[in-house]
Amino acid sequence: MEPRRRKVTYDHYGYLFIAPFFIVFLIFQLYPIFFTFRTSLTDAVGWDKILNNSIIGFDNFKVLFTANDISRLFWLSFKNTVIIWFFNFVPQIGFALILASWFTDTHLRLRAQGAFKVMIFMPNIITAATIGMLFFSLFSYPIAPVNTLMQKLGILNTPFEYFRNVPTSRGIISFIQWWMWYGNTMIIMIAGMSGINPSLFEAAMIDGCTSRQIFWKITLPLIKPILLYNLITSLVGGLTMFDIPHLMTQGNPNNMTNTVARFIYMQGFSGSYNFNMASASSVVLFAIIIICSLILNILMSDRDARPKK
Amino acid sequence: MKKVLALVLACMLLIAAVPCAMAEEEITLNVWSFTNELEGMIEKYYAPSHPNVKINYTLYPTDGGEYTSHVDTLMAADAASEEAPDIFTLEAAFVKKYVDSDWTAALLDIGFEEADFATCIPAMVQIGSNEAGVQKALAWQSTPGALMYRADLAEKYLGVTTPEEFQEKVADWDAFLETAYELNEASEGACKMFCANDDIWHPYEYNREAGWVVDGKLNIDDNLYDYLDLLKTANEDDLYAKGTAWSETWFAGMNGTMDILCYFLPTWGLHYTLKPHCVVGGDSITDEAELAAKSEAEGGTYGKWRMVAGPCGYSWGGTWVGANAAKVAAADDAKKAAIKEFIRFFTLDEDFLYTYAKDVNDFVSNNTVVDRIIAEGGTPNPFLGGQDHYAIFAEAANLANGAILSRYDEAIKTLWDNAVVNPYTKGEKELDECIADFKAQVAAQITDITVE
Repeated sequence: MEPRRRKVTYDHYGYLFIAPFFIVFLIFQLYPIFFTFRTSLTDAVGWDKILNNSIIGFDNFKVLFTANDISRLFWLSFKNTVIIWFFNFVPQIGFALILASWFTDTHLRLRAQGAFKVMIFMPNIITAATIGMLFFSLFSYPIAPVNTLMQKLGILNTPFEYFRNVPTSRGIISFIQWWMWYGNTMIIMIAGMSGINPSLFEAAMIDGCTSRQIFWKITLPLIKPILLYNLITSLVGGLTMFDIPHLMTQGNPNNMTNTVARFIYMQGFSGSYNFNMASASSVVLFAIIIICSLILNILMSDRDARPKK
Repeated sequence: MKKVLALVLACMLLIAAVPCAMAEEEITLNVWSFTNELEGMIEKYYAPSHPNVKINYTLYPTDGGEYTSHVDTLMAADAASEEAPDIFTLEAAFVKKYVDSDWTAALLDIGFEEADFATCIPAMVQIGSNEAGVQKALAWQSTPGALMYRADLAEKYLGVTTPEEFQEKVADWDAFLETAYELNEASEGACKMFCANDDIWHPYEYNREAGWVVDGKLNIDDNLYDYLDLLKTANEDDLYAKGTAWSETWFAGMNGTMDILCYFLPTWGLHYTLKPHCVVGGDSITDEAELAAKSEAEGGTYGKWRMVAGPCGYSWGGTWVGANAAKVAAADDAKKAAIKEFIRFFTLDEDFLYTYAKDVNDFVSNNTVVDRIIAEGGTPNPFLGGQDHYAIFAEAANLANGAILSRYDEAIKTLWDNAVVNPYTKGEKELDECIADFKAQVAAQITDITVE
């Protein structure tokens, strides 16, 4: 009798290769997300109640949406976050677009492109904690580099306390966020622009388009998906901003640079350790981010490109 | 059954491995701490005299609350479990939280007697006891604070030549403010009385009559309004340098780049903060003679500082040792005795404390030992121009009242600074508005106390 041939398949080994990611994802991302959702419905205040708590329904959310000390601080933090994000985001996209179009412009043929790209990207490599401490030292009061410089140049007569003034402290945070991230955004934009078929540019040039017309009529419409990606990642990053405000201003002055993520941290990890409130505000922030991303998606989506039924 | 078998096997192995059978069986103690300081002390002083105790040392840093979150989650889950600590060390920032909880054992229950604490420095004993006055933890070091001042500046502007004279100039807060005005006039604003609002916070903190929380309610002590008034006056009339603690400006006054007369610093502040910063770049030098020479050559402040008790006694920092109540309850007599002995050895054993103080120059928590060191001539400190810092710290140590600290202090202090001290003393907002904001923020963050 001929031995029965068993078919050897190696397909299932594929699962082993992707298993590490899924195991890490399940333990360190998916589980904590569900845990946060659950905690937001409980009375978990203090470390001893983090595991032994009881479900109390939506009371924590009610706190966030009615007038009281906690909700006022939460919505103030939300407002601060949006303001700081806006003043970082607009220049960030602007600079990234201009630089990316220069770097990819075949008319200009910039020299030493690599060196410039590295220099522009550099701030992104340094950890936020280091940058936070650096700017804190630079703008300290009364003796610090910026104050000394301002006095030497004759711009200021007396030292100025940057971190006691709302526009300057918010401005410094926005500036750091912009400075750290415009290089990153630029690289992604360059990638997007390099992906455009060069024959389109050639055709445009032959037809006598100026650089500006090429940018507005060809480049921009074609990198829309990349732009959307940037918008959404920046939105998520901006709304969860934590490190720079926490390390540099600690919400000062008068909580005007307190961000939502810092509010959550302070609720959860200081004072009475209000894990329930921290989780509830995280869930609200999560919902806000989802809604904003959806709106962006709808606004930016190219309706003509959809397959017609 | 399996466990018993395993135990028997383990015992047999032990007996086989150690031919000369030990008289007493080995006891294991789990010790948890947040620095390796205690670990070094165990190896050097405790282990040689306690051969039958095996120490399992676990270290979690305090950064970002890592230590407390580990302790809290474990204690909440199963405080009596095998891996739970028998003994933990507690830092000033969170010692009150643990002595107020049921997790720490009352020292009288493990065999201590009230009389054992009689020679300890009172503030350290007070901080280690709970709201009801039950003693839960003890400290081996004491961290009293004093006032360090620049003798050369005091002589130049105030005509003061001895520490005794200077103490009169800062005997209380009114005198302190008067001296600040005198200094401002004499130096035409070039020399400031102190650097940061935090400098005078620690003495004022101990100047309060009651703590932040009284009967579960937020309490703003009247003395704190005096603190605000003093700071606001000092701010309006430019009497202080308006810096913040641990900033460039703060260190500039220490190394003489700026003229600042007074610093309020505790024991560790003298050795690890002021001294290394007496000259620019001095913090990388470990050799004292080299530091003095560098300071001399580069116009630093080595040897120019003197020390006085200042307007009031206070304490800043410290480490306490306490026992896990659940493990104590489950322990047999031998283990209980070992737990007691561990705490006794590090916090009450006079021979150990004396040797340790002599070795590392730390200020210990026992008055008998402190007196002995002072009687033997103390510790003349060339950094202070030969002044004996032990004697002055001893005086300050016994003045501090540790009973007003509470477990809420750290969180409330941050809110107090952000909502009241800075906006009010810098003239940004009115006091009433600041206090209302402060109360709202306390209510939002600390939900287990009432705010009226």
